[in-house]
Amino acid sequence: MSKNNKNPSKGFLATLKRWGKRMFFGGSNALADELELSQEEAAERARQADIEEVVSPTRQIVRNFLHRKGAVVACCVVIAMFLFVFIAPMFMPYYSDSYTEPTQKSVAPGFRMMNVPDELKKDVKMIDSYGTFSVGLSNAGKVYVWGETRLGTTGIDIADIPDEVKKANIKYVSAGIDHIIAISDEGKVYGWGNSYLGQFGAVEGENVAITPMPEELLNGTINVDNIKELECGYQATVILMNDGSYYIWGNNNAYQNLTNFANISYDSKFEDISFALNNIVGVRKGGDKTLFTGMKGLYNKARTDMDDAVADDLKKFLGDRKIMKATAANTMICLTLSDGSVCFVGDVSPTYNYKNLDMPSGVKAVDVQSGTYHFTVLGSDGNVYSCGKEELGQCKVADGATGATRIFSGAFQNYAIDENNDIMAKWGLSGYLFGTDTTGAPIFERVVNAGKMTMTVGAVAVIISTIIGIIIGCLSGYFGGKVDILLMRIAEIVSAIPFLPFAMLLSAVMGRMDLPELTRIMIIMCILGVLSWPGLARIVRGQVLVAREQEYVTAAKAMGVKESTIAFKHILPNVISVILVTLTLDFAGCMLTESSLSYLGFGVQYPRPTWGNMLTGANNELIISNFWWQWLFPAIFLAVTTVCINIIGDTLRDVMDPKSTSER
Amino acid sequence: MGKYIVKRLAYMLIVLILLSFLMFMIYQLMPNNRAYTDAKAWLQANKNNIKGDIDEAFDKKYKEYQIVYGTDTDNKLVRYGRWMGFMPLSNGQYNGILQGNFGYSYELKGNVVDVVAEPMKNTIFINIFATIAALAITIPLGILCAVKRGGKLDSAVNVITIIGYSLPTFLVAILFVWIFCSNLEWLPPSGMSTPGNEFTGFRAFLDKMYYLILPLMAMTFCSLGGMTRYVRASMIESLSMDCIKTARAKGLREKVVIFSHAWRNALIPVVTLVVGWFLGIFSGSIVFESTFGLNGMGNLMIQAVRTADFDLVMFVALFYVILSLAGNLIIDIVYGLVDPRVRVNK
Repeated sequence: MSKNNKNPSKGFLATLKRWGKRMFFGGSNALADELELSQEEAAERARQADIEEVVSPTRQIVRNFLHRKGAVVACCVVIAMFLFVFIAPMFMPYYSDSYTEPTQKSVAPGFRMMNVPDELKKDVKMIDSYGTFSVGLSNAGKVYVWGETRLGTTGIDIADIPDEVKKANIKYVSAGIDHIIAISDEGKVYGWGNSYLGQFGAVEGENVAITPMPEELLNGTINVDNIKELECGYQATVILMNDGSYYIWGNNNAYQNLTNFANISYDSKFEDISFALNNIVGVRKGGDKTLFTGMKGLYNKARTDMDDAVADDLKKFLGDRKIMKATAANTMICLTLSDGSVCFVGDVSPTYNYKNLDMPSGVKAVDVQSGTYHFTVLGSDGNVYSCGKEELGQCKVADGATGATRIFSGAFQNYAIDENNDIMAKWGLSGYLFGTDTTGAPIFERVVNAGKMTMTVGAVAVIISTIIGIIIGCLSGYFGGKVDILLMRIAEIVSAIPFLPFAMLLSAVMGRMDLPELTRIMIIMCILGVLSWPGLARIVRGQVLVAREQEYVTAAKAMGVKESTIAFKHILPNVISVILVTLTLDFAGCMLTESSLSYLGFGVQYPRPTWGNMLTGANNELIISNFWWQWLFPAIFLAVTTVCINIIGDTLRDVMDPKSTSER
Repeated sequence: MGKYIVKRLAYMLIVLILLSFLMFMIYQLMPNNRAYTDAKAWLQANKNNIKGDIDEAFDKKYKEYQIVYGTDTDNKLVRYGRWMGFMPLSNGQYNGILQGNFGYSYELKGNVVDVVAEPMKNTIFINIFATIAALAITIPLGILCAVKRGGKLDSAVNVITIIGYSLPTFLVAILFVWIFCSNLEWLPPSGMSTPGNEFTGFRAFLDKMYYLILPLMAMTFCSLGGMTRYVRASMIESLSMDCIKTARAKGLREKVVIFSHAWRNALIPVVTLVVGWFLGIFSGSIVFESTFGLNGMGNLMIQAVRTADFDLVMFVALFYVILSLAGNLIIDIVYGLVDPRVRVNK
């Protein structure tokens, strides 16, 4: 010991090294012995004389603990889990509790969203995506689908391309949230995926919520050479012809002005039509000074870049320029003007930190493509520029994209194509490690932040209960008599309160009182702590009572040691081992109770995640069987943590009890 | 012994009154004015029949309802007394819990006592069934582990039970649904009977049991971990007693030693604990009832809390408090019966 003290840094490093070894190789007798051996003095003494080594109780406990392989592993797991849930959130700058993404609901775990089929890689004609899957078309006229192709609980796999589409020579293809539309060289329009809300095909009967697909597309063909553009929105599709006429159909509820476009009574020809979040926007033939939406007052403010705080009136901003093309993302629309510059119209959230376009002045926009929340612009200098929201990595333009001749963006993916039709670079969202939940939030990020919350609640609750337990137990044991009887009766009453019903009753009251969320969580911690102290108090009382009558206390008293010294130096160390065991087991207990409470919906509430309330959605067979990742991952984290903590507590109890160790 | 039981009973009553007072105070925190609600409803229904000033009529009716519900005073103690039925209402009548008036459920449109009859029957049934099933498994298993202590089976059971009692109950429920409903498709995931059936008698019972198998299995599984460990521990304790050595020295067969000598001694802590457990799992079954959609007290409480049906919430909460107190009382009495020292000490 003394040597170690002289050279603390070396000793510390050596300890660290040993613990590192232990972490990777697990606990073993050899390692535990090595721990002792490194303390040279003790080893030397043991070698010199064959005397039994004298070890302090604490060292004995540590040594016994290290001999238990399972407990050491459990300890490492718990520490790793603790560090993980508290450090990992620091690397999630875009995480927010209330984050939702309607186009990414219930995506299975995996990184398949940018796995372009090899056949397509060298021969790209077009790529499009809207939701979780992408569709691509080769110059040979073949259609490819990749990504998360299973559509929710409908049982439809959109990667099952119909045979007639496989046989046909496809010229245009586009993807919506749950359907794909393709046009063959003969002008036949094909659709597959979910047709429930009129995405394609004939609609049976009258349905006011659906604008049906035009009759001539259902049964006849259209002139392929005359098609300018095929574009799919959420659950709607538009085919724009070179002469400015167009076909539009789909779910009226997805776009509030779909019917305006479908029933335009006057002659209107369009240069471009695009789908924003709730609106369809059109640019009239020959360039336009305003965007056509069929409604007044929408999109009449323009800005040159994302962060421009003040937006100009669109007409004033345009001057003598005209709008040639509109590319819509969620709430923003990027307009390509007649002089080759771009501007943005639409709503910009004032609190959100958008990535700016940063395109040097003088560079003209050759092509503008949009994802769900971002725009990708191909500049006339051959560079690719990007702007918009970047939380899923959709704005990080890959280095290899310079010199691209064409770009394709959709949803959260981007592809840069060179003059040989090869994909030269791709960037954006490739998938989710643990999948997403029913609101589209990534489960991995939520599980990590939930762990932070669950562990904090458990830890605070256990600290509260330990403090109360120790104080009451000590008072009761030390004073005895009437104080003891009174305190133990209180403990009995508290332990008679059934926890779950009582917490639910309190939760019902709190629910009506309109408390801030943090206060609610604080109250939950307090309830947990205040209702779980009697066990510890009884144990501490028993221990103090026993310790008070021990000979060593009498001896200390006889030697004239001060009362306070006896209490803290003689009695407390004997009690502390028991407290430690109860603390460990109670920690797991509190985490479990909090989880149960949150699972039932009376603890911490959505959107703030805990491991318990992440499982709330899973009390439904549909989710349990279809979206296994939504409950399995939080469940694994919760189960592993509580099992490991209980193993540590159990082992500690065994190790600290001299009776049980001597039996072994 | 009689004196001891009376003492414990009196003590339990005091605790019950204290706890009910605490709950009543929490209940009072809720912004809930039944007299006002009822008077408003009356006003809506009789809008056209009121002669004279509407406000005046409303005030009159409001006062009437306040007297009926005993809320015509701000004194919380008096209100509590009236709620419990210790004190008379302003009109001299006693109409509280002691008189059997548990209130009215606005959501389910009926007196609380009538509303809870069916769920209570279900909850008691599933809990008794689960306890019996758990005991039938854990006692032999615990004994076996204690006798073959340190063996392969013992180590395996040790690991499994520690996992068993560390897993949250709802997780076990979800896992069971996943295994037996989603993958094997053997059992229905939720509900209590086939929708739209017209079964009667034994057929109806079979149908109900078919739906209850899964929740019962999950509940039994959840109580296995803790109980097995406890039986094992107390059996180990009694196997190390001197009387066992004597029995073996006498040359008794090992079977007799274990079941006749050791097990009887081990039974004392087990019996007391089992009774407590039996009542303890009642509040644990809230989670199962919620997950499996059973019509029990727990599910009733969840719905009542969600819909702010306060009288029902109070009744169910009180039900759980009484159960837990009764559990403690029975433990005390049984302990006193099997271990005379306890009686003397208290």
